[in-house]
Amino acid sequence: MQVNALAYEAVSKLETRNSKLEIDAVLFATSTPVFKNRYHASFLADLLNLPQGILALDITNSVRSGTDALLMANTLIDSGKYKNILVVVADVHFPAIGKELSTPFGHGACAILVSNEMGIAEITAAKSCSSALAEEFSYKGNAIQYDPRFSRDAGFKTNLTAALKNFVTNPKQYDTIILNSLYARMAGGIFAKAGFEETQFSKDTLLSKIGNTGAAHALLLLINEIENAKDGIILLADYTNGANFFEIKIVGVIKEKVVQNELKNFELINSYQDYLLLRKAGNFSSFNYETKEMFSSEMMQEREKDTLQYLKGLKCDSCGTIYYLKSTRCKKCKADKFSTIQLSKYGTVYTLTSEHYFPSSFPPIHMLVIDLDGGGRVTVQQTDTMYLEKNKIEIGSKVKLVLRKMIENDTKPNYFWKAIPL
Amino acid sequence: MKKQNDIAIIGIGVTKFGELFHQSYDDLVRDAAKQAVNDAQISMDEIGAAWLSTAFPEIGVFKGRSGMDLSEPLSLYNIPVTRVSNFCASGADAIRNAVNALRAGECDVAMALGVEKLRDRQPQDSIVKMMVEYGHPFLQKGFTAAGTFAVYANRMMKKYGLTREDISNVSVKNHLHGAMNEKAFYRKPCTLEEVMKSPMVADPLTVLDSCPTTDGAACVIMVRAEDVDKTKHRPIYIKGIGLSVSTGWDLPFFDPNHDFLSFEATRNAAKMAYQQAGITKPIDELDLVEVHDCFSIVELLTYEDLGLCKPGESKEMIRGKSTQFGGQIPVNVSGGLLSCGHPVGATGVRMVVEIANHLRGNAGERQVKGAKRGLSHNIGGPGAIASVIILEN
Repeated sequence: MQVNALAYEAVSKLETRNSKLEIDAVLFATSTPVFKNRYHASFLADLLNLPQGILALDITNSVRSGTDALLMANTLIDSGKYKNILVVVADVHFPAIGKELSTPFGHGACAILVSNEMGIAEITAAKSCSSALAEEFSYKGNAIQYDPRFSRDAGFKTNLTAALKNFVTNPKQYDTIILNSLYARMAGGIFAKAGFEETQFSKDTLLSKIGNTGAAHALLLLINEIENAKDGIILLADYTNGANFFEIKIVGVIKEKVVQNELKNFELINSYQDYLLLRKAGNFSSFNYETKEMFSSEMMQEREKDTLQYLKGLKCDSCGTIYYLKSTRCKKCKADKFSTIQLSKYGTVYTLTSEHYFPSSFPPIHMLVIDLDGGGRVTVQQTDTMYLEKNKIEIGSKVKLVLRKMIENDTKPNYFWKAIPL
Repeated sequence: MKKQNDIAIIGIGVTKFGELFHQSYDDLVRDAAKQAVNDAQISMDEIGAAWLSTAFPEIGVFKGRSGMDLSEPLSLYNIPVTRVSNFCASGADAIRNAVNALRAGECDVAMALGVEKLRDRQPQDSIVKMMVEYGHPFLQKGFTAAGTFAVYANRMMKKYGLTREDISNVSVKNHLHGAMNEKAFYRKPCTLEEVMKSPMVADPLTVLDSCPTTDGAACVIMVRAEDVDKTKHRPIYIKGIGLSVSTGWDLPFFDPNHDFLSFEATRNAAKMAYQQAGITKPIDELDLVEVHDCFSIVELLTYEDLGLCKPGESKEMIRGKSTQFGGQIPVNVSGGLLSCGHPVGATGVRMVVEIANHLRGNAGERQVKGAKRGLSHNIGGPGAIASVIILEN
């Protein structure tokens, strides 16, 4: 999945819980390389079908950009000019193949709605302290490089100690401390010196399962904590090139545990060979068929946005038949008046096939003809089919449409709908 | 519709179908056209207008983009020549256009020639590649031609209890027939096991459930029935000709009205042709049928769409061998597309030539005895277009 597909997925999960969001700003944080076409807040806002001209800001270039975005949202809400701000963080990192950094990184995304109304948790204090000393990650070509020596030994200790002193007056007031740092042990020592107890620290249970998710990691830890804690005050500390601190008070109760539920869908890649295939670094299979980049057109995307991106359809005013593709006259009753409607992302497989000769890293490609709940029919690929035995679909199966990257042409990713089993 | 005058086919020609590396596009045109002109015992210059059917000029060094690609190899100049393109129904549509021109009096002798050169191309260049690289970036992405028909197969299996064996038995039957056709590409019978165990293309269709891509050409020369010279011609009459475009390239896969059990286009085209020919019970009134078996499942669907049996009963026809050579109504005695391959623009014309040969009693080993009336059927695109032609002797 690409950055915006992950981000979209995260927001979709948020949307299902808050059906009538009136969002007036989107803050999109990522440390995935900037200037990659369509990896930005405006495109995300567009994917989400938010009003044109909405405030959409990109917060990038640092692994703490996730908490930067939260901080900025908090500040914007405090200013009184915004009511509901969507904070979305997504990171997709592809370390150099065969290098040691392949293991500690994971992809991840989450979305948080920051509102001027009381919700699940309240940000009671927030602060950011800059530090120019520490740079542990850098890009060499397209691969991440990691050199902690100077940053850890010279920058981290001095800066975190000073920042902590600046923010915290009474260490004992916090029920939980979420510390997002690569140098957990060292940071722990610094916190202990500042008067914190070992029992206050929340364990990072995500790292071992999904790896370090970069900019998304601190907020994923926060969401996981809020979803599991009963009440109390949380101190969130996020450190990279400076530190962000938040004092967060849990005020509501969450019934659904999104992070834990997502972890249940966790799928382990069987072998390094499969990982290479996933990265398209191995043989591009399907009988060694070599293909040029597929045709794609930005103009076409823009022109057909309603159907391709927003999944809108036409409903015949006369007989009620719902069409996904534009139609001049109803195929069924020949009437020519239609109304635009939003199609459902859920449906039932009407018929299907598996294509063994269409180029794919994991052939075959499963093509599904789906009758959407409430009307309309689409034909899309099944996705996440690396290990099909776990995702078997047949006629009558219930499926869900998810937005995924379809084609990357001249490094312009194009997103379209694919299906996963429910 | 007004009663139309009969049109007579007076000359037929067909090349060998296969990997014809020794013959160019132009050679194939010459081969088929000369056979037809000789058969009709006319001179090339008597042809008053011609129609050229080629579906994919892009993959044959641009040959077939316009009528001039018929004129040039035949040195047939200063008459109207039109290229016809209607996907896999192109050949049949070329004939339909020629028929209409004769009826309208535009010309007295008309030629319809279908030709396609699918084997001359760079390695890995194919129709699959076209669908991968040049199709709509999202709609139907992931489909090959096989897949667009495999979704019908799975629905038929679910709804009507059709089995994989029923589908593959179409291929067994047609390969058995193909062995008797000296112009076919595959001339070897195959077993059910061989079909089912050949590599999967799009579930449940295997390689042997799919027609090969081949080169080939076929040609017919037509005149109005009253112009037939009985002293030299052995005319075959076109009694009905229907063509219907009933859906689109993408629509079938996004149309909630579509049941994936039938091709509306075939039903429409058949209705037109049956009405013109006065046919009410096709199973009793037809002696042989050539249907568009690009993938074996399509033949089964077409039994039902042509009214040879009721919906859901095609499996009984294949199980009872009633469509095998010697059965009640032999289907694809030529070996069909499964044995001949499918040079797209040529196929529809080849089928008409096949029926004509049977109606003349000229089909050799595979002759359907006493054949008086036959039908040829094509579908084009994802079953969106269909053509049905009824021929009598």
